[in-house]
Order: sequence, then C-alpha cells, then structure tokens
Amino acid sequence: MSCSGPIAATVLADYWIAALAKPEEAAIEEHLFTCDECGARLRDMIALAEGVHQLARQGSLSMVVSDAFLKRAAEEGLRVREYAPPPGGSVECTVTAEDDFLIGRLAANLSGAKRIDLCLCDQRGVEQIRLPDIPFNPEGDGVVFQQSITYAKAAPSETMILRLVKVDETSGERLLGEYTFNHTRTLPGPGAW
Amino acid sequence: MDIDLDDAALARQIGSGSEREAEAELVRRMAPRIRLYGLRHLRDQYAADDLTQQVLITTLEALRAGRLRKPEKLASFVLGTCRMTVLDLRRNAQRKERLLDQFGADLLVPVQPSLPRLDHEELTRCVQKLKERERSVVVMTFYDEQTGADVATFLGVSEANVRVIRHRAIHQLRDCMGVAA
Repeated sequence: MSCSGPIAATVLADYWIAALAKPEEAAIEEHLFTCDECGARLRDMIALAEGVHQLARQGSLSMVVSDAFLKRAAEEGLRVREYAPPPGGSVECTVTAEDDFLIGRLAANLSGAKRIDLCLCDQRGVEQIRLPDIPFNPEGDGVVFQQSITYAKAAPSETMILRLVKVDETSGERLLGEYTFNHTRTLPGPGAW
Repeated sequence: MDIDLDDAALARQIGSGSEREAEAELVRRMAPRIRLYGLRHLRDQYAADDLTQQVLITTLEALRAGRLRKPEKLASFVLGTCRMTVLDLRRNAQRKERLLDQFGADLLVPVQPSLPRLDHEELTRCVQKLKERERSVVVMTFYDEQTGADVATFLGVSEANVRVIRHRAIHQLRDCMGVAA
C-alpha cells in the first residue's frame, strides 16, 4: 500500500534524534504504526545515522571537532592522542597502533571573525588542502582539528603546517596562527599512501 | 489466509480464538513497527527485541481475551502498549541488566527486519564531500548525540540555523548515497 502522506526524511531524522516537540513526535508515531513505507524510510535514516556514527568513531574523518566529541570518544574507551603547539610554534608528534584519534589543538583569538579557513600545508608552507569556512565559536579560544588516523598511521615521517586564516570579503585574509607538526613515523614499515 | 485483512478484521479473527494464522499475521505486521519504536526510545537492539516480544505477548493476550473494545484501533492499542512497556522497562532496567549478565543476550530472539546495509566507503566519500559546517553538525548529531542547542553554542549560530544545516546535510548525504527521496 502506498503512503498518501510520506514523512520527510529530515523530519524522520529529527524524530530519531528526539528533536521534535512531543505532539509532533506522537503524531509521527501514530503514523509509523500504520505505515510500513515510512517505517522503511525511517530504517534508511537510522542506517545513515549509524553509518555516520561508525565513521566518526573510526577517527578516519579529517575535520574540526568539539570537546564534546572528544569526551564521547573517551567515554567509549577510545584512545585520543593530542598535540597543542603554540601559535607560531612547532611540536614533535607521532601516532601509535593503539591510537584511535589524532587531535591538534590550535589556539587562536577568534573574536570578530566571520569566516575562518584551515589550510593544510606541506613542510615548505605551500598550501595543499584548504578547509573553507570551518565551524568555530567566536568566543572560543581556538579550534580542535582531527587529522584522519588512517592517514596518520599510513604517513611517513613528515612535517605538516596548519594555518588558521581569518577571511573577510572586504579586507581579504589575515593569518590567525601557524602551527607546525613534525611527525615521526614510529609504526613498523615504510609510510605510504 | 487473506493477508490483506485490515487491522480491525485481523483483531476480530484473533478474538474469535480459532485463527492461528491471524496471530502470525499480527506478528508479521506489528513486530517491525514495535522494534522501530524500541530502537528510537531504548537505543539498543536487544532492548528493542525484548520490547517487541513483550508488546506482542501483551497484545495477543488482550485480543484473545476480547479486551480490545475497538478492533479498528489495533495500531493505537499496540502503540499505547509500547509506551507503557517502555516505561516499565526503564523502571526495571537494573533488573534487566542483571538478567542479561546472567543469561546473555542469546535468550532474546531478534526480530527482523534489521537495518539496511550501507556501503561504508561510499558513505566516507559522501561525508567528506559535505561542507565543513555540515559535516560537523551531522557528526555532532549522530556521534556526540549533542542537542541542537549544544551544536548551536559550538558553532556560534542559532538553533534554527543548526536545523537548516542539519537538514541540508541529510539531503546531500541521501542524494550522494542514492537513497530514494
């Protein structure tokens, strides 16, 4: 039987994460108990949510994360390796087979910024990848960047420079901080991608 | 038997006491719905399976005894039983944990259907294709299990804005994964 009023995927997502008001949630549940088509759509949504959960849990995403993310990882018994070079400074770093997450804490004054980009540069300082318009709290004291643990475990010894850049449509770009990570490979075998 | 029976006819057949196939059809029809409810409210597949069994038993007992006065309200009755049973399960959560420790989860028979399988590599590619803020929002939502208010604080935007970003990201992920609209 075809559903005459299918529930939107985004509403099903809101239902799954308990973001709906109680009356709306009750109405969704009444519908789900009479409509297997929407039930199947909810299963698709749950699978997507679980997939993202698993992906995040593996530490293989390169992205800005929150302290709540790291707290959750610690609660799940995952091992987080963190480095926090000062702005303009460098840090010696590595990653072991037991590590689940690799984190760089990039301290910077973010006040007044409308947009911040994170640039990943090679040892000469040449930009290789840019993460545009990263999430940040203007009242925060920096950015927490997660490097893919899959990438890090495969990498040879190398130097990576991260730059936080404040972007303004009128005045252009301004460097907020530069952070150098001198990575020494300690895992067996040569690094290779 | 005719599996196209509506809920009311199904409830009446079970109430007549002579139709075993009607009971099987009730289980086939309601078990996946109850399990979804359980997954949503209990966040645990074993607990959802447990809920499914308990609710089905309660429903069948009520139908056999003719306690469902309005057979056309079968779905509402099952949903109401789910709500009551979840409250009971939460009250008895400690007792349940002890039983699971003692007997293991094997005693609980899983009820199908399970969740669809996703292509993990494809999902990785799709998540990396999201804009930075969109990726953060879906990860904070589905991994950290942060509320909209918490995500809004982290991003320095309004809750309404977080909702817009979340919805846009979900649309893009579904499109990228080829999930039907």
